[in-house]
Amino acid sequence: MKPLDEATLIPSHMPTTNRPSNMGASVNDNASRLDAVPKVTGSAKYGKDYHLPNSLYIVFIRCPWGAADFVSADEAAAKATPGVVEMQVRGKSCTYHGQSIGYIAADSPRAAKRALRALAPKWKRTPVKTQISDTVKDNPDIGDDGQNNMNGAEVTHEAVYTTPVQTHSSLETHGGAVDHRGDRATVYASTQGTSSSRDGLGGPLGLGQGDFELVCEYVGGGFGSKLGGPGKELTTAAQLAAKYKRPAYMFCNRSEEHLDTGNRPSSRTLARIGFKKDGSPVGGEIRTWGGTGVAGGGGGASIPSGRYKLGEIKKLHDDVSFNGGGPRAFRAPGHPQAAFAEELMLDEVAAKLGMDPLALRMKLAGGEHRKMFEAGAKLIGWSNRKPNGSQNSALRTGYGAGAAGWGSAGPGGAAEVVIARDGSVESRTGTQDIGTGQRTGMGIVTADALGIPLKYVSVKIGRSTLPPGPGSGGSVTTPTTAPTMTAVAKAAKTQLLELLATQANAKPDEFSIKDGVVLRNGEKYLTWEEACGKLPNDGITANKGKGERGDGHSNGVQFVKLDVDTETGVIHLRHVVAIQSCGRVICRKTAESQIIGGVIQGLSFALFENKLLDRNTGAMVNDNFESYKILGPGDMPHIEPVLWSKGQSGFKALGEPPTIPTAGATACALFNAIGRPVRDLPLTPDKVLAALAAGQGGAA
Amino acid sequence: MPDDSVHNAPTGPGCGRSCNCGRANADADGLIRDPKSNGDGVSRRSFIKTLGASAAVSSLSATSESRANALLGREVPKSAAMLIDGPEPVDVTLNINGKPLAVKVEPATTLLEALRFHLNLTGSKEICDRGACGGCSVIVDGKLVNSCMMLALDAVGAQVTTVEGLARDGKLDPVQESFVRHDGLQCGYCTPGLVMACRALLNDNPKPTLEEIKKGLSGNLCRCGTYTNIFNAALEASGQAPIMDQKMEGA
Repeated sequence: MKPLDEATLIPSHMPTTNRPSNMGASVNDNASRLDAVPKVTGSAKYGKDYHLPNSLYIVFIRCPWGAADFVSADEAAAKATPGVVEMQVRGKSCTYHGQSIGYIAADSPRAAKRALRALAPKWKRTPVKTQISDTVKDNPDIGDDGQNNMNGAEVTHEAVYTTPVQTHSSLETHGGAVDHRGDRATVYASTQGTSSSRDGLGGPLGLGQGDFELVCEYVGGGFGSKLGGPGKELTTAAQLAAKYKRPAYMFCNRSEEHLDTGNRPSSRTLARIGFKKDGSPVGGEIRTWGGTGVAGGGGGASIPSGRYKLGEIKKLHDDVSFNGGGPRAFRAPGHPQAAFAEELMLDEVAAKLGMDPLALRMKLAGGEHRKMFEAGAKLIGWSNRKPNGSQNSALRTGYGAGAAGWGSAGPGGAAEVVIARDGSVESRTGTQDIGTGQRTGMGIVTADALGIPLKYVSVKIGRSTLPPGPGSGGSVTTPTTAPTMTAVAKAAKTQLLELLATQANAKPDEFSIKDGVVLRNGEKYLTWEEACGKLPNDGITANKGKGERGDGHSNGVQFVKLDVDTETGVIHLRHVVAIQSCGRVICRKTAESQIIGGVIQGLSFALFENKLLDRNTGAMVNDNFESYKILGPGDMPHIEPVLWSKGQSGFKALGEPPTIPTAGATACALFNAIGRPVRDLPLTPDKVLAALAAGQGGAA
Repeated sequence: MPDDSVHNAPTGPGCGRSCNCGRANADADGLIRDPKSNGDGVSRRSFIKTLGASAAVSSLSATSESRANALLGREVPKSAAMLIDGPEPVDVTLNINGKPLAVKVEPATTLLEALRFHLNLTGSKEICDRGACGGCSVIVDGKLVNSCMMLALDAVGAQVTTVEGLARDGKLDPVQESFVRHDGLQCGYCTPGLVMACRALLNDNPKPTLEEIKKGLSGNLCRCGTYTNIFNAALEASGQAPIMDQKMEGA
């Protein structure tokens, strides 16, 4: 391998003096989050924090079984519970645990819960299906022609890879609080789509869009599950607030959040693939099934990913229904489960070919991925990797790798920049910050475009009365709004410089702004504040401008190093290197946080998460945070985020790609350590021990 | 009542932090003893959990009240209305962030509910509502407590510090400062709990190792995935170099 090109890497927490080419021209890109102080002091108000005086509190009545017919309920007792204001029970047949059949609204949360207990609905259970394998039992060929594209293959591989349902587990649950004052309303929502949620609320509120404001200053996570309009929780609150002309509050509890607010669908991938002995791909067929619960679709799996040349692949996908809540978009929908199958499949093929799995990837991957693989191999210490299954010690070390890619989006959304006479700048767009750093990013691109320090800029987002912005989905928020905000801020700057030129009887192009100082012909002319003092009373407002598209994919690779305790089957994560490109790095801290977070969610998917439905009743057995385990501090490896700078410019995607390859790379590392693949996520100790036991039997 | 089978396993290992989460070791009688306590070692919340949260108040007869007082190792003021059956609300005064605050709550109200619903102190987050995530962490008489697992009535007479009370005179606590500097937060919903857990850890152990930090924060969950930066924040707040810097300088 070639020596590591230091200039292509931005190591984490590197001194700011060594500023790579794809970071901004100002010092602003090392800023801390603009909303960090409200978040660390508890003053940040999320939708769930709006407990308004005289509010109604709403609870949903939900089916406790995977499939059941509603029989009866003690409605009289529930209505007689002190504090109950309204109840609606629409008894019916239900097809998943957590399905709503109505609601109770009461004067306090405790009264609503007491009424729910008094209601005591009775159900008659009916038979359930709880997973893909209840329907799909064999491994059929695609089509009837018997052609699987593997003619000429010298080495073939056939295997089935499966992943479980993963819930988003947003820490702030779904819902909203509505303050209805008769002819006006304020809605406090927890949403990834400020604009789309507003669009769905006029009817339920009985108000025109101009008569209410949706506020979403802070969102306690969403990961895709809070897209697509207001949702039934907020809609119900809006309807009852409108009916009673008083505030109403509905947020899911933790159980309901697991049951009924979306998930990453389960998957089953059947791969038949052929190679020449030198690792050249021949082709094959890949059949996938997505476990979509009661929903009819949304279970697609993105394999083949296109990141590796696999020859001609025949592909067929089917969605499979069972008695579980339906899926919603979840950070890189269709990708982590597909990458798990694809990466582990490649490692198994490499083992059959007698090749180093990284060497096989170098043969199959594109140019940028190859360079990233070279750099990452150095950082993880790939040269210390031992051949598959060659270790005999109780504690065995494994290395795995995987790749990610994501397309870019063009400029979009609306924005406004206001410069006031005191030098303060307000940057406005109706997007929302779900933890990505959108608020901070908007501030930085505004400051950079104006040529001033970030301290002058305040950012207004998360309100439906602002210029509308996109929803936080598809990793498009920054690629769409950052170019637009940059262009609008530049338009504001042009207005300011033209005004200064007019006042000085000079030409506008004599003036420029750098680091908060207005220059005339390169010499200091005025400070930023002095220049703004020359503005008319109402300052400058700009809202027109179209930015430039950041072209090309956001690519990434990840390496995982882990230890396996072969006596207990427990995996100890040790080191993850995550290299990721994202165009221009607007804010290094939040960019690195996105990468670290993607890796952590991927590791959690790899080792722990599984929405488990009881096979007899269809009830979710782990609808909590004790037994639906997500990765915690004690499980953490050393994670090394690396922002790839070579050839990067423009505003590109970052949110989703870092969670794509992690589970696959982890499964490859386990395969390397113990010499046997575990093809079913999560990689729990029982499966590790079973794989080890099968290995001792000698069957390959 | 919540199912505490995991946290409250009678013979399970301690959770590794100085909290009342119930993961401390249990005695033969099933009572969970806090090794750091000066009294006879039973935390308030452990006692309540032994009985079950909703049953606790209503079952406090005169006999059990004196037993409770003995177990708590302190005098419980009569104003705490420990003899109240509920569910009718009672007047109590809680000492929150150095201020006495009067509040009218049903006896079964948790400290978290009292903070959020009755006192509008919404920094403490309700995330799992059963002691599994640490999002509602507060410091009660110097110990880290999941406020969703403690009754408001049992906080009467105790000094409660919430995340809103950590900054003093407009100045952030060093833990808060280092969370900001190291981006130890994304969506921010777990952040108040992790800030409090980190503060409590450093109060007990002013210079923790990385392993001690991981263990000390292991009662808290974050979904966005910020742990790396939180570890660095904890190291810096305790006057130690962040791990990444050491790592990269040596690389």
